[in-house]
Formats: sequence, structure tokens, C-alpha cells
Amino acid sequence: MSFDLNLGLGMSNLGGGEDNNYDVVIIGGGPAGASAAIYTARADLRTLVIDKGLTAGALGITGKISNYPGVPGPVTGAELVEIMRAQAESFGAKFLTDKVVGVDIHGERKMVMAGTGAFYTKVIMLATGSMGRTSVVKGEEEFLGRGVSYCATCDGAFFRNQTVAVIGNNDEALEEALFLTKFADKIHLIVPTPELKAREALAAEATTHPKIAVQLGTRLKEIMGNGQVAGVRVHPRGGSEETLPVTGAFVYLQGGKPITDYLMEQLETQPNGCLVVDHEMQTTVPGVFAIGDLLCTHIKQAVIAAADGVIAAVAADKYIHGRKAVQTDWK
Amino acid sequence: MSLLQEADRNHLINEFQALTEPVKLVMFTQEMECQYCRETRMISEEVAELSDKISVEVYDFVRDQEIAEHYNIDKIPAIAIVRGGQKPKDYGIRFYGIPSGYEFSSLIENIMMVSRGESGLSAETKAWVANLQEPVHLQVFVTPTCPYCPQAVIMAHQLAMESEFITADMVEAIEFPQLSNKYHVHGVPRTVINEDTHMEGAAPEPILLSKLQEAVA
Repeated sequence: MSFDLNLGLGMSNLGGGEDNNYDVVIIGGGPAGASAAIYTARADLRTLVIDKGLTAGALGITGKISNYPGVPGPVTGAELVEIMRAQAESFGAKFLTDKVVGVDIHGERKMVMAGTGAFYTKVIMLATGSMGRTSVVKGEEEFLGRGVSYCATCDGAFFRNQTVAVIGNNDEALEEALFLTKFADKIHLIVPTPELKAREALAAEATTHPKIAVQLGTRLKEIMGNGQVAGVRVHPRGGSEETLPVTGAFVYLQGGKPITDYLMEQLETQPNGCLVVDHEMQTTVPGVFAIGDLLCTHIKQAVIAAADGVIAAVAADKYIHGRKAVQTDWK
Repeated sequence: MSLLQEADRNHLINEFQALTEPVKLVMFTQEMECQYCRETRMISEEVAELSDKISVEVYDFVRDQEIAEHYNIDKIPAIAIVRGGQKPKDYGIRFYGIPSGYEFSSLIENIMMVSRGESGLSAETKAWVANLQEPVHLQVFVTPTCPYCPQAVIMAHQLAMESEFITADMVEAIEFPQLSNKYHVHGVPRTVINEDTHMEGAAPEPILLSKLQEAVA
């Protein structure tokens, strides 16, 4: 039994140092978040964008775009996002690849807790998109904490020398599967789509790893067990169902629901779960804005998300400087 | 060799400027130090060096049995975080296992909270906790690599601070496999309330409150 003492990690988690203080922290680096960052950074606001990865969102996994104004294309979604991020970085915005696990939105000094540490900020922009899951599979809730997990880095050590399943097709699923190779003997990577939707290098590493068995085009039907996960029932496209004996099921599936879990119900929502925002994209908590596909009323197009980001960025500048009216840069 | 790096020490020295009331870390190890006992003791001692508001007392779990019993310590390594100074108070805040990785931030947050003397819980939770008349024991199982775990640990310790009937332990799951087995811990954070009620994940305060209400119903 051993694990890294990891004190360095713990320390960075404290935050509060000069490097962890920002004017604006944007959660999500898609078109909404990156566009907001272009405007806030250009307005000399110290800006941090925290994003799970280039292919974590809807645009990042879009194959071909030819209708984004000013960019004739065709370009891939990931390329378009990269252009936006480079533009934001040119104005001084910082981008951090990380996952936000919680926020404290109250008060003037707000906090965003990510895997690598805490960040303090005057304004939080929520731009996490709508690729959250809409349903769970049979057995998933029953076996949560009894073999079902959403965090391999948290729980991997419980599965030493065992066989587990990782279900998903994105960067996160692959990174977690690779992390699990430190503990588990064998990992079944169940990919619901015919292809992986992840970075090429990461996909190559995962698919060639001797401990990882990849099953493309295979849907998870049920997590089974008796008090504890004992197997997953899967259905390969065009094939017949089979049950894989596993003791752990790490689920990283996506869907079409706004991602708000990290807010821990701190913000007012409509009965349908959608966040309430005003005409400047500000939520019911001052200094907290929501933009892009996260909003239910939103037309799911990159250019609309980008426009949301700009509206919020201008309003954030007004909020931070206590102005009554927006200042627009026409130069 | 020091466990804390120079930059981290300086950062903490600065953070600890905000401490008001003295805080005491009561640490339990033993002569033949257990796995991570030495590191846990070193963490306690090194943190205490960073502020004159923080002191540390190190006891031997076997030789100082009476003191261990006084603090209800039943396994090591253990740290009890108590208010020191003229008005010492044990809130029932415990760390079992090494507070490393993400849990180091839980340790620091707890020191700050005990010094401040304010849990920071909502008025609704405080009101319910104030009427509590029976013992509640929370055990929050964690791993050092779990970014969600400090939220659950800190909230449990906030509750402990709020009521003399509540005690709350951080339990590092890998160091105490017998407890992990007993409470069927296969994922963290997992909070066990009074043996029978449990909760997965770092839930918002109202959800933890409803679980507490369920546990004492």
C-alpha cells in the first residue's frame, strides 16, 4: 500500500496567493467563455478561463464549421475554439486545463475550487455548456459508492488488482482510464460512439495500453451486482448483449443537459432547472453571469454563445468598476 | 528534511496572520510510529511553527492512554484540533490518517475556523443544530487525491464546531482498510452518520442537513 504524499498538491489547493486572485474567472472555454475572455482581458481585467479540455464541449467535438461569420472554413470546432483562445491569450487572458469541483458565489470575493487549487475572483462566468447527462442507466444510482464512481483519481485505489469498466468517449474518460491503469489489472473502455472523441495523442495512448480493452460503438445498458458492482451489461452496435464481470464502473457519459452540478444549488433556477439571468446575462447573484449553451433559452450556435460572452463581459466590466452604464470600445 | 516547501511556508505564514484565538493541534502517534504517523506528526509540528497562535502537543497512543481516552482517540495517526489559550475547547474535530494531498487544505481551513470561532454554517442549519439533544457522529471517508473530499470534511467539521453533541472525523480510507470494509467504502467522499446513515459525495449543506435529520429521526 502506498500513495504519493502529494503535499505540493495540497498546498496549491489553498489558494489565496497573489497568483490565485482574478477579476474574472470563467468556467468553460468554449465559444461563450473564450469570447468573454477576449473582451474582459482586453478591458484589462485579470482573467482566468478554466476548461476541462479542447474537446470537452459541444464545439470542440464538432467536425466541420463553415457558417461562423468571418471564418469561411471549413474548420473543425476544435480549430475554431483554438483561434478564439489564442485571441484571448493575446490580450492577456490565462487558460487553465482543469475541472471545477465547486464554487462559493456569495460576497464580493468569490471562490472557484478546481482540481489544482482555489481561485478568488470578483466575477464568475458560468460557461459550462449543456453536455450534461439527462438520464442514468439501470443500477447506476443503486451502486453509487458501491462500485459506481465518477472520479477515478478519488476512488482508483479501491480497485487495486481488479477489473473495472470505464464508460465514455471523451478526453476525461480516457485520462481516467489511463489513471486507473496504476491500480486495476484490466480496464474495459466502453465507448458509446463508433469513434473516440478525444485528442489524438491521448486516444493513441489509451487504445494501445496493454491493460485497456477498447469496445467502440458499445452502449452501457445496466450496471449489475448484489450490494456491490459485479458486472456491466453492454450492447455492441450490430452485436448481441454481453455481461462483462467488473467490480467498478466509472461513468463519463454526456448528454444534452446544462451542466450546473458544481454550483451545488446555490443559484436560483426555473422549475425546469434552467438558470435565471437578466438581459446582461447576470444571474440572481451579483457578479455571477451565465452564458452560452448553459442557458435554456439559448439557440445552440457558436456565434450566439460568443455574443452571450461579449454581453456578459461588458456587464462584468461595469459591475467591477461600479459604472451605471456600459462603456463600449468602438476603436 | 522539512515536508513543507519554503514557498508554501511563506504563503501559510501570511494566511495565519488572520488567526485570532489560539489553536492547539493534539497529535497522537506511538513510539514505533505507524504508517504515516511520522509524516502526520511532522505536518502538525511544521504547521505549528508558522504562527505563534498555533501550538502542538504530541502524545503516545499507548503510553498516554488517559489522554487518548480523554480525546476519544481510538486509532492513529490522529489529530484533534481544539481551541487553545485561556478558554480551551474541544469541538470534536478529528483527523484520522494523514492530512495530505487535498486534505491538507481541510486541516488549514479547520485551524482557521477554530481560531475564528465561527462555523460559517447557514442560519437554518445552526437553528436545527442548536436544538439537537443527542450524540451525532460523522465519519467522512476520503483519499488524498480526491478534490471533492475537503468540502465534505470541512462541512462535517463545521457541524462539529456548532454543537457539543456532534463529533466529526476525517478518515483516510486507504490507511484504515478495516473501517473502509466495515462501512462499505468503495468511493469517496462517503459520510457515515451514526453508523447506519450514509451519504455519497460532497453534497450541499441543505442535503447534509436532511441526512442528519434522517439519522436522528
